[in-house]
Amino acid sequence: MVVTSQLRTGSVFKVGNDALVVQKILGQKTGRAGTVTRFRVKNIVTGQTSDVACDSGEKFESVDLDIFQMKLSYIDGETYVFMEQETFEQYELTKDDLGDNAGYISADDDYPIEITFYDGKPVGVTPPILVERTITYCEPGVKGDTSGKTFKPATLDTGIEVTVPLFCDIGTRIKLDTRDGTFAERVK
Amino acid sequence: MDIDILCKVIDNFGDIGVAFRLARSLSELPDPPRLRLVVDDLAAFAALEPAVDPDAACQSVRGWEVYRWGGEGEVAGANAEAAAAFRARRPSIVIECFACGRPDWLEAILFDPASDKGCLIIDFEHLSAEKYAEDFHRMLSLTRSSLVRKAMFLPGFAALTGGLIMDGSFERARTRASSDAGRRDMRRELLADIGPVSLAGSGDATIAGAEESFWICVFSYERDYSRVVADLAEYGLRSASGAGRPILVLVAAGKSSDCFLAAWSAAGESLPVIALPFLAQEHWDEIILASDFSIVRGEDSWARAALSGRPFLWQAYPQEDRHQMVKVAAFLDRLRPYFADSAEAFSALEALYLAFNDREGDGPDEAGPERLLPVLSRYSELLPAFQAFSAFLSRNADLASGLLTFLREIV
Repeated sequence: MVVTSQLRTGSVFKVGNDALVVQKILGQKTGRAGTVTRFRVKNIVTGQTSDVACDSGEKFESVDLDIFQMKLSYIDGETYVFMEQETFEQYELTKDDLGDNAGYISADDDYPIEITFYDGKPVGVTPPILVERTITYCEPGVKGDTSGKTFKPATLDTGIEVTVPLFCDIGTRIKLDTRDGTFAERVK
Repeated sequence: MDIDILCKVIDNFGDIGVAFRLARSLSELPDPPRLRLVVDDLAAFAALEPAVDPDAACQSVRGWEVYRWGGEGEVAGANAEAAAAFRARRPSIVIECFACGRPDWLEAILFDPASDKGCLIIDFEHLSAEKYAEDFHRMLSLTRSSLVRKAMFLPGFAALTGGLIMDGSFERARTRASSDAGRRDMRRELLADIGPVSLAGSGDATIAGAEESFWICVFSYERDYSRVVADLAEYGLRSASGAGRPILVLVAAGKSSDCFLAAWSAAGESLPVIALPFLAQEHWDEIILASDFSIVRGEDSWARAALSGRPFLWQAYPQEDRHQMVKVAAFLDRLRPYFADSAEAFSALEALYLAFNDREGDGPDEAGPERLLPVLSRYSELLPAFQAFSAFLSRNADLASGLLTFLREIV
C-alpha cells in the first residue's frame, strides 16, 4: 500500500484495475486535518488525464514496476529521449509523461535518471533528489542577505520558475530538491 | 437517499459541533436523507445534544442511528455492533468529516473484493477563507477501488465554495434576533435560562437592565486577557458617562474562561461579567446572536458569528510556524470589500485581528499587543459592514442544500 502523502511526480498507483501515474502536483492545502494535494494523474493504459484531490491518509495499491537507470540523451521538441547505458537502447517519453520532472532535467546533465516501466512501457521518470540547475533570470541579487529566508522568483535553464533566496543572481548555479521543487542550496 | 456521517473528535467540541449541525441541517431539507452517525467521542456529542447517551454503542437520536466508533482493534463491542448494522445496510454515501478516516470495519465493508456495490465518499473539509477552498471544492478524489468514488466538499465564505451550514434552529433564532423586540426577548429568556447568576462586580442592580446592555461574548483559546479586560473596562466607563450603553461580558465555559476571569479579577472586577455554564449548541447560537460583539474561536462559532451580522473578532487555531496568520489574512481579505466606506474602521479591525492571532501557541501567559478599544469605538461603522457580509453569506450558499444537490448530481 502507498498513502497519498508518499506520492510524488512519477509515482504510479492503482485505482481498481487501472494504473495511474502522477504527472503534476497542482497544489496543496494544509490544515489541522492534514494535507490535501491536487494531482494531475494519467491513466497509463487509456492515456486519459484527470485532476484529482486526495487527503494525505488515503491508501492505494502499489504497482509492480520495473525501474532502469538511464541518461537523457536529447530533447526533440516535446519528446524526451533516454538511453540505456549498456544496451544503448533508446526510449521516448513526452513532456506530459514527465510532468513536473521535465523542469528538473536537461540533456546537458550527466547524472542517471530512473525510468519507470509498467507492462514493458516507459511511463515516468524520477530524477535524483537533488539536481543542479542554472538561473537564467531573476531580479538582481541582494548582497549581504545570506539568511535564505526571503525568496524571489527565478527562471531556470529548463524554463521552469522556482523561488530562490534574495542573494541569488543570474548565472548562479543552485541545487533543487526535486521532491517539491524547493531551493536546497547554492552550488559552491 | 442514505448518508452516513463519520466524525472523530480531535479536541474540544468543534468537530462534533459541525457534524451535529450538518446532520440537523440535512434532516431539515425537503425529502431528507436517512442518516447514520458514527462518532468516536459520544461524551462530547452529549454535551452539545443532551439526548445522546455517551455510553450506548448504538442508539436513536432525532431519528438518526448513532453508533460509537470504537477504538482501533476493538473487534467486539461498539465496532461489532456498528459493523453488523452497516453490513445489513451497506453504505451508499459516506461523509468523512475533516479527513477523519474510516474505521477498519467500514473499510472492510467498502473494499470487500467480493462486493460489486459502489459507494461515494465525501471528504468534508474544515472551513477556511483561503483561496484553496474555491480550488478544491467539488473536486473529484480517488480511493483504491473504482467502485468507491470520492469527492471533496469545502465550506467557505466565497461564491465558489460550499458556503456555510444554515440549520433551521439557527435561522429561526437569527430571524428573531434581527428585530429589537425579538432580541430583547431572546436576551431575557437567555438570562432566565442561565439561572440566578451573579453578575460579579456589579450586583443585582445590573441584572434588571441586563437585556439592554452592550453584550460581548468571549470564547477563545487560552491567553492573557489583561489588555482586553482593560479596554472593555475603559469602554464601560465611557458608557457610564453617557457615551453609550452599559457593558455586559458573557464568558463561555472552556479554555478562555479561567484566563478571562483571572484578568478581570486582577483588574478589580471593574465590569459586569457572567461566567456562562456549558451550553447546548442551540443555546450557544443564541448567545452569539444576542451579543453586540463576539470574540470567537475555531470553526462553528466563527461561522455563526459571521452569519450573525454583528462585529466580531475571530481567533484562529494556533498552528506551527504561525500558519494561522495565513488563515486570518485570508479572512480579512474576505471582509475588506465590505468596508469600502469605512477604511479606518477596517484598519482598526485588521490591527486587532493580527495582534490577537500572532502567537506561537495558546496558554494563560500568552499576551499580545491587541487593542479592542479602537474597534469598539468605531462600532457604528463596523455594524453595517458586518451586516452586509452576513447578507452575502446568507445569499451565497446553504451548505446542506448544496451538498445534497451535489450528491444527487454525482451519485
